[in-house]
Amino acid sequence: MVLELKNITKSFGTKEVLKGISLSTEGGKAFGLLGRNGAGKTTALRILMGVFPADSGDVLIDGKKIDRKMVKIGYLPEERGLYPKKKIIDQLVYFAELKGMNRADAVKSIDYWLSRLEMSEYRDKRLDTLSKGNQQKIQLITTLTHDPQIIILDEPFSGLDPVNAMLLKSVVLEEIEKGKIVLFSSHQMSYIEEFCDRIAILNGGKTALHGELTEIKRNYPRDRLTVRSPQYQEILTDFGEKCKYISDDSVLLRLDDESEKPEIMRSLIDKYDIDEVKVFEPSLNDIFVEYADKEV
Amino acid sequence: MKQFKTILSFELKNYFKSKVFVGTTIFFVLVLAVVTFIPRIADTISSSDEATDGNESKPIFVVNADDKALSEQYALAFKAAFTDYEVVSDTLDENGIKEVLSHEHIECVFDITSPTTYIYYVNNLSLYDSNYVLGSEIMQTVYRTNMMIQSGISPEDTLTILSTQITGENISLGKDQVQNFFYAYIMIFALYIVIMLYGQMVTTNVATEKSSRAMELLITSANPTSMMFGKVFASCIAGFTQLVAIFGSALLFYNINREYWASFEMAELFFDIPPALLVYMLIFFILGFLIYAFLFGAVGSTVSKLEEVNTAITPIMLIFVFMFISVMTSMGSGNVDSTLMRICSYIPFTSPMAMFTRIALSDVAMHEIIISIAILIGSVFGVGYIAARIYRIGVLMYGTPPKLGNIIKMVFAKR
Repeated sequence: MVLELKNITKSFGTKEVLKGISLSTEGGKAFGLLGRNGAGKTTALRILMGVFPADSGDVLIDGKKIDRKMVKIGYLPEERGLYPKKKIIDQLVYFAELKGMNRADAVKSIDYWLSRLEMSEYRDKRLDTLSKGNQQKIQLITTLTHDPQIIILDEPFSGLDPVNAMLLKSVVLEEIEKGKIVLFSSHQMSYIEEFCDRIAILNGGKTALHGELTEIKRNYPRDRLTVRSPQYQEILTDFGEKCKYISDDSVLLRLDDESEKPEIMRSLIDKYDIDEVKVFEPSLNDIFVEYADKEV
Repeated sequence: MKQFKTILSFELKNYFKSKVFVGTTIFFVLVLAVVTFIPRIADTISSSDEATDGNESKPIFVVNADDKALSEQYALAFKAAFTDYEVVSDTLDENGIKEVLSHEHIECVFDITSPTTYIYYVNNLSLYDSNYVLGSEIMQTVYRTNMMIQSGISPEDTLTILSTQITGENISLGKDQVQNFFYAYIMIFALYIVIMLYGQMVTTNVATEKSSRAMELLITSANPTSMMFGKVFASCIAGFTQLVAIFGSALLFYNINREYWASFEMAELFFDIPPALLVYMLIFFILGFLIYAFLFGAVGSTVSKLEEVNTAITPIMLIFVFMFISVMTSMGSGNVDSTLMRICSYIPFTSPMAMFTRIALSDVAMHEIIISIAILIGSVFGVGYIAARIYRIGVLMYGTPPKLGNIIKMVFAKR
């Protein structure tokens, strides 16, 4: 299954929130939707879920306009919240029924997820008696009970302890393996890097960057070298402005042109005592800072 | 439709499981039970009282005059009227009167100073003391009888003349305002209380979902129209169930104790409501409740915090109180067909009370009733639709509550 958002625009009053964003992803892959606060991520996700329609543009499934009656979507909102005063099983069943499940199937699926997330003992408790992390797990169950084809996770790891984060990771990986489309929206770049094959960075209501993560990294200008050497001080003085200290005896060396790379690498090895020299590969964090911060 | 049913049953369960709902219902049923059983209990107690100490001394009522014969003559006449007292005659002076009143059992002294004047002595004059009114009537009768006999009319004729009663009967060709007044009154109060109570519950319910952020999930799981209609119908059913439970138990208890209520004409009136009026009551009650509940629901969706609920519902309350006061004033004045009431009986927000009152208290043509109900039904759906649109937009807005003008703009904006 292929999910595409094509040239989506949306304004609220005079405020243009989305100015034509496009992205695509497919089943069995995780997609990272990134952007600074207010970049339009939640609006884009809400349009995908049909909370409100786009002003223009289309949401397509396998090239056809999405029929939300046929495609099941599971959503874990960033702002968590269920009914604090209600029994957990009651509210989980309610949300499952709203998504079209019958009661018996809902209870079966909920019991599976409760035990999968080690929450069975809380089945008949009120939500507000649970810790924040456990409430979050309950919320995750509402996302997954109806076996959705598209799973949208907005900041899924916030508030989870490392053990629970591991548990969630394994659940997410399982869902990806089942061929589901998983959409992540998060500011924790390490998780995105771990899961996502494709990403899109939104900035000012536009898609600033979109594509395979490995490819994005590969296409990133390879005009910088990371050099680790006990003589880093000398390198810093010799290269002047082009060179910048990073950490652990390492410096970042900017080249005027990619073609200089072999020559400079060789001269470095000849001239200094070099432990390591390699082309600088940006982390997702570096990419994010660059693209999400730029004026578009 | 399936979502609507799911939401309806979920919301209904919430009401029926709510301690406040169950508590208030039980409280009212108990109060009604106590009230309806009071005459029976009182009867049982008083009959057992009579059985045990029937000769319990009654308070003493002294009829006083300077002349012994005169005081005895009046005492005889007073005895017939004051059955709750032991009436005795005496010839005391002022100090004597004050002295006897200090005795425990002597309650009052009726001092006859001349055939047409008296002084009523009592220790404490109660607000409800009507002894002297009755006393002066008796004196008047005695005086008239004496005068008539003196002027030559025979005592028998005098008695006949004075005791002649006028008999009459009231036949109302239209509505009996006296009887229907109660129904209109009760219906208006029930509607007022239920809308106040349940309307606010709908607002709070929506606002709570919004402030707990359960809304984020709800809005992506369910259609806002289903949510709005589900919530409003659930509150309507809950409110109605509560009323039926309360009035039903009142009726039941009344029937159990019917014989003991025989002397209370009002009770009889209350429980013998004409069927046609009952049907109108149900129609206007349900429609009136729905139209307001939709407004309350829509308003609930525009607030972000529970604290803002009270401010937000003020405009609705104003319309509502206006309706209540104008109908109550018209009822009080007895003219329910005033221009104001005629207009109000076609405006959907005021017609539930205004039209029902007119139906109950005056003659309204059938076509007028049908038009009013048709407008009301149309408006319920119209307001429901608009409320669902406000809801759809409102639930996603956090921060400062939107201005009324903005809401109207949003509702009529292109989707």
